[in-house]
Amino acid sequence: MPYTFPLGPYHPALEEPFKVKVQCQGEVIDSAVVEVGFSFRGIELVAQKRNWVEVITLIERVCGICSNTHAMTFCMAAETIAGIELPRRAAYIRTIIAELERLHSHLLWAGIGAEDIGFHSLFMEVFTLREKVMDTLEAISGNRVNYGMNCIGGVHRDIPDPTVYLPVLDELTRVLNEVVIPTFTQNPTAIARTRGVGPLTREQALEWAVVGPVARASGLDIDVRKDQPYLAYGELGFKSFVQEEGDVFARVVVRALEMLESVRLIREALLSLPAGPLKAVSGLPTIPVGEATIRTEAPRGEAFYYVASEGGNTPARVKIRTPSFVNIPAIEPMVIGQPLADLSIIQASVDPCISCTDR
Amino acid sequence: MAMLKTVLANLLQPSRTRAPADMPPVPQTYRGALVHDAGRCTACGTCAFVCAPKAISFTQVPGISVSWHFFIGQCSFCGLCEQNCPTHAISLETAVPGVMNNAAGDGLRLESIIALKPCTRCGAAHVPLPESAMGSQWSEEEKGYCPECRRWAASAKLRSAFIPAETATPAASPALEGAGHD
Ligand code: SF4
Ligand code: SF4
Repeated sequence: MPYTFPLGPYHPALEEPFKVKVQCQGEVIDSAVVEVGFSFRGIELVAQKRNWVEVITLIERVCGICSNTHAMTFCMAAETIAGIELPRRAAYIRTIIAELERLHSHLLWAGIGAEDIGFHSLFMEVFTLREKVMDTLEAISGNRVNYGMNCIGGVHRDIPDPTVYLPVLDELTRVLNEVVIPTFTQNPTAIARTRGVGPLTREQALEWAVVGPVARASGLDIDVRKDQPYLAYGELGFKSFVQEEGDVFARVVVRALEMLESVRLIREALLSLPAGPLKAVSGLPTIPVGEATIRTEAPRGEAFYYVASEGGNTPARVKIRTPSFVNIPAIEPMVIGQPLADLSIIQASVDPCISCTDR
Repeated sequence: MAMLKTVLANLLQPSRTRAPADMPPVPQTYRGALVHDAGRCTACGTCAFVCAPKAISFTQVPGISVSWHFFIGQCSFCGLCEQNCPTHAISLETAVPGVMNNAAGDGLRLESIIALKPCTRCGAAHVPLPESAMGSQWSEEEKGYCPECRRWAASAKLRSAFIPAETATPAASPALEGAGHD
């Protein structure tokens, strides 16, 4: 007899509220309905009531994991409206922070994923590694989350001595190559719980318009860093990783390879950090009348910002489309025909971020 | 078997959890306890302007003092007040911030009272500028002027630079002019 099973909104796998309501035939899932919006905060509206300095602090809190991406993308939009050219050193520092953030986001995801398949020792390994990334971010920015690095026209803090962070990068490469990637791709437990699980074909990926690692694991070669290079990505060169299978295993592999590429990008950016000022403007910014759309590659995929200014103290409109907002609905086709026990890892495999979905 | 090997290999290893003494150093950029120096503050309001969660506010006792208020429950430790304060009156120290129980009620509150001083020329109560912001262009007497009198004194200086002293009428000389602002 078919029955309905609600997973969430008080979620057993995640700390954030969202609900997957599945129809099951015995152990097998027939269909699923995803519900979000349990913690809507109205940031887009509040952004219209905060001045151009305050709004960066607000936008940074769109997401608790990729906070820098949002503040950075917003600042890039404001800079585009005002015609401010970002100093090269600031562009490199933003790139370094963005890639460190991607590392910490992917490692967080890998740890949660390991926990979801009941692999606690791997979770511990991954989180030990993530702690090194967090320490690096703290050493540069002063905080572990909400780094407060971005301002319109540049960055607030410098990286005075780039070479001190190189040993951490070596350690990251070593542990990723020796522990994390082999365990995920060779350990029988990990393979059994991920290979062939939660498939999303290339056609489905196009139809559900997924972005980021989920799209790349389904054979879609899209990445804003490559398709429309911004900041220092054009100069540093960028390689994207694509897998054809579209299952949870492919999503693991894509994120694992991306982490190694992030480490490479950070290393090159640190070694070739150009000299120069940190900010293009001093004092409080004035943003003329205008509008801008900016796309950046957040850890979970493409983040899209539309910012309009009427020349006043506050933005006239800030429209935010976050990557999780388009990835989360794709859980619906992924779970059809899958065992109920795999629901947890399937929905975790898109790396759902409810904070930014319910922005 | 593999598990036994792992257990044996780990038996003589030190703990992988960090000991309290092995913590990463607190970075110089850490944004912790907020400190406000009333002696440097000019009550210009820039810090309140850039503070997104409105943790900073002002109250005044007309003619006596202006108070700068900070409530830690609303502070997000973004550091923008520190970065934008023109007289460097605010700093976020590397010390751990005080208690911040909730956003509504209890938790650390700071208050700095900035006493108003009478202008040494017109007597109007005003917020004195800190010594560091004064620079060397003002004489000892002029340092006690209110903003209006400073503006007047500046324009008087400018005028006397353009009009040679011999041709100036006695009324144009600052010392003889009345106590008015214009
Ligand atoms: S603390 Fe600084 S920014 Fe705030 S009112 Fe005083 S002088 Fe102005
Ligand atoms: S640190 Fe940020 S949130 Fe806290 S008082 Fe200063 S501006 Fe406001």
